[in-house]
Amino acid sequence: MSRPATQKVAAAASGPVLGPAGRESWMRRVAGAVAFRNVSALYLLALMFVVFALWVPDTFLTWGTWRSLLSDQAITCLVAVGLVVPIAAGVIDLAVGTEAGLGAILVAWLLAQLHLAGLVAVVVTLLAGAAVGVFSWLMITRARIPSFIATLAVSSLLTAAIEWISGSQQIVNLPVGYGDLGSGQLLGVTYPVYIMLVVAALLWYVLERTPIGRHVYATGASPRAAALAGVRTSRIILFALVICGVVAGLGGLLLTSQLSAGDPTVGPGYLLPVIAAVFLGSTQFRGGRFNVWGTVVAAYVLAVGVKGLQLAGLPIWIPDLFNGAALLLAVGLAAWRRTPSARTTTLIRLLRIRPAVAPGGQP
Amino acid sequence: MSDSGGGADAVAAAPPLLRVRGMSKTFPGLKALDGVSLEIRAGEIVAVLGHNGSGKSTLVKILAGVYQADPGSLVEVRDAAGEVVSGPSAREELHFIHQDLGLADILSTVENLGLGRATRGWGLGPVHGSAERRHAEQLISRFGASFDPTIPVGKLSPAQRAIVAIARAMDGWTRPDNVLILDEPTAALHGDEVQVLFEAVRRVAESGAGVVFISHRLDEVLSLADRVVVLRDGQVVAEAPTSELDHDRMVELIVGGAVAEVALTPQDGRGEPVLEVTGLCGGEIRDLSLTLRAGEIVGVAGILGSGREQLASMLFGARYRTGQVDVAGEELVAGDPAGAIAAGLAYVPADRRRDGAVMEMSVRENLTLPLMRPLRRRFGRLDARGERIEARRWMQTVGLHPPNPEQPLKLFSGGNQQKVVLAKWLRVRPRVLLLDEPAQGVDVGAKAAIYELILAVRHRGAGVLLCSSDTKELVQLCDRVLVLKEGRVISEVPRDSLTEARLVRDELDLHSRPT
Repeated sequence: MSRPATQKVAAAASGPVLGPAGRESWMRRVAGAVAFRNVSALYLLALMFVVFALWVPDTFLTWGTWRSLLSDQAITCLVAVGLVVPIAAGVIDLAVGTEAGLGAILVAWLLAQLHLAGLVAVVVTLLAGAAVGVFSWLMITRARIPSFIATLAVSSLLTAAIEWISGSQQIVNLPVGYGDLGSGQLLGVTYPVYIMLVVAALLWYVLERTPIGRHVYATGASPRAAALAGVRTSRIILFALVICGVVAGLGGLLLTSQLSAGDPTVGPGYLLPVIAAVFLGSTQFRGGRFNVWGTVVAAYVLAVGVKGLQLAGLPIWIPDLFNGAALLLAVGLAAWRRTPSARTTTLIRLLRIRPAVAPGGQP
Repeated sequence: MSDSGGGADAVAAAPPLLRVRGMSKTFPGLKALDGVSLEIRAGEIVAVLGHNGSGKSTLVKILAGVYQADPGSLVEVRDAAGEVVSGPSAREELHFIHQDLGLADILSTVENLGLGRATRGWGLGPVHGSAERRHAEQLISRFGASFDPTIPVGKLSPAQRAIVAIARAMDGWTRPDNVLILDEPTAALHGDEVQVLFEAVRRVAESGAGVVFISHRLDEVLSLADRVVVLRDGQVVAEAPTSELDHDRMVELIVGGAVAEVALTPQDGRGEPVLEVTGLCGGEIRDLSLTLRAGEIVGVAGILGSGREQLASMLFGARYRTGQVDVAGEELVAGDPAGAIAAGLAYVPADRRRDGAVMEMSVRENLTLPLMRPLRRRFGRLDARGERIEARRWMQTVGLHPPNPEQPLKLFSGGNQQKVVLAKWLRVRPRVLLLDEPAQGVDVGAKAAIYELILAVRHRGAGVLLCSSDTKELVQLCDRVLVLKEGRVISEVPRDSLTEARLVRDELDLHSRPT
């Protein structure tokens, strides 16, 4: 670019070129960082902590409760973190629950029936997760089926595959050592927690710190505009679905290790809490963007709620109720913060109040 | 449209249909409107002019109820008899056509037209398909258009979409004393269509309605409006009857000082061919060939449907095509924008909101999106610091306002969005810059800045292909202009004989074929 021409441009443009950046902006950044709308889940966590600490102090305030919470929730959290990638790229993967289910049953079958070595079984299972991602991608980008429908169908195919592999039976007789992967402990916390943290850190790095992550978000925000800016959106979607499939498969094989059995029924149960965590997570930290650490926090906040209610002796259907309500709340919250003006409109419509004179004016 | 509105004397005496007094609107860090007052009388066409970011769109959005004005602002709506209309019916007196048209892209024209109409009863009554279709065809034919009203609006051209929006606002017009507010309706229309629209707008005004017309095209304003209100930085800086104004005076008022016309320095000599197209086919284009050399700006003119609107996106690979496209001697693969960028093409689409940039993302993220390799560090890390510095530099180069690279692009005015789109392509240093209506819906000041940027690209030795429906723009900027008709180049006008009259004549093919 030639210097004289660009300087002329800058001179032709009106208004101040540099705004009052610097101190004011970082003060606003700090204020924004701790604002309720940015970290509402943390405030919610604090609130629930106080409530349950007062309600069921004997059980809620024990190290054991928290340790098991951390470990039990690790797999849900892991699968949710994997799902962040496709959702950020603008495709939803409704097969994520059954992908985890497939991982759980496949690793058990490989170990118990085929007697493969542990490492080989794990790798094959992860590859199977990747293959499911590739298949979903083919359906979405080549057959041009909307991701919602395509992955719903894939989910059903996977359910069939799980039933077929397992004969609708639990697969037991796993090798003795395999259980260590899911229930072995380090510093009082099980391995899956560390695995989840490593995967979350990796995906955070990819999404927030690399060009690929930027391409993922651009594809999610506007596939047309992203493609015209040179983003190979189809490859990005492939990447997202493969990551999701592999991470879900990893979640499944950890679960099998934890249970010491391959259970054909575990998969679908993950779908709702995972989606709830991703959407609630999108309202945290990053101003409405789907993001990894928001999802991790959201998954644990939801788990604390469920755990507290269970400890308080509420019935067995509480987790489903809580997750469903949390999903509605999370998505509602995301829509709420997107359009501040829609809030008043909605309230006005709900209360049947209308502006007294004309729009925007004072009566 | 009935003629029950008052006569000429009644119009002069009656209180205004719409009165805005002391309207302000403060956004965080920005006072978009500052004590704006405005009156619209029955039968009057009032043009509101101003820079992008002068507050025009904010004013419209407040009237439409999208934004809430600051306390102390007054808006008063009256009917023809001078009675103040209050409550829910006040908003029903105002009809809007927004810049982004507000159409549901996946629905057909028929369905979009039905959206504005009140449903009777519970909304469960049968929809009369053929009757609605006939009604829709009738409405759009009033604007001289004829297209299938049953295909999704998203598949229509920008001009056709604008027509649907206008037809919708005028449909369901129950009383003549309403106010029609048009926010840049002509941005995507070509000469003839603009005239058809103006005729319709004049008829609306004659029937006793008030019309507020917002446009960047000053010539249009001169030929249509009775009165002009000029906004600058959220304030009314001038208000005068159109008869007291001319083009230069309006530009001065808008910019707040005279701006120099863009001067195209004559070319020093022809460069190497950078873009060679042979036998291009696809869409409306039939067997088109052209050569673009380094350091020249080649205009592409043509009426709607001539293939002019499709050419740039087709060359870039965003649209199906056959034929050979070479960039600097290297053949491009069709249907691969990323490959086209790597070969040295850059493309500024006409539809900025949908195609031009990712509106949800920040200026910084949009700027670096097409080319991130230079910012990649070890382990695939993106150099965040380097990216911020670069974003800040480009922001200053193009004079972005407000100067905040972290703000999502959708919060900027149209002209500033376009500056970002151009900046992101200048950053990749293209060999060939494909432009599709680069100054569409952009105010005078931003337009001058955009033209300067285009000239800077030419000066640097890239070839520029400028597809535009604005003949003035073509005459101002181009070294030569290719005129398209029915998908072919029918004439090439060199710089010496380049005039608006010549282009319009060629576009309509008036001299070559006497019948």
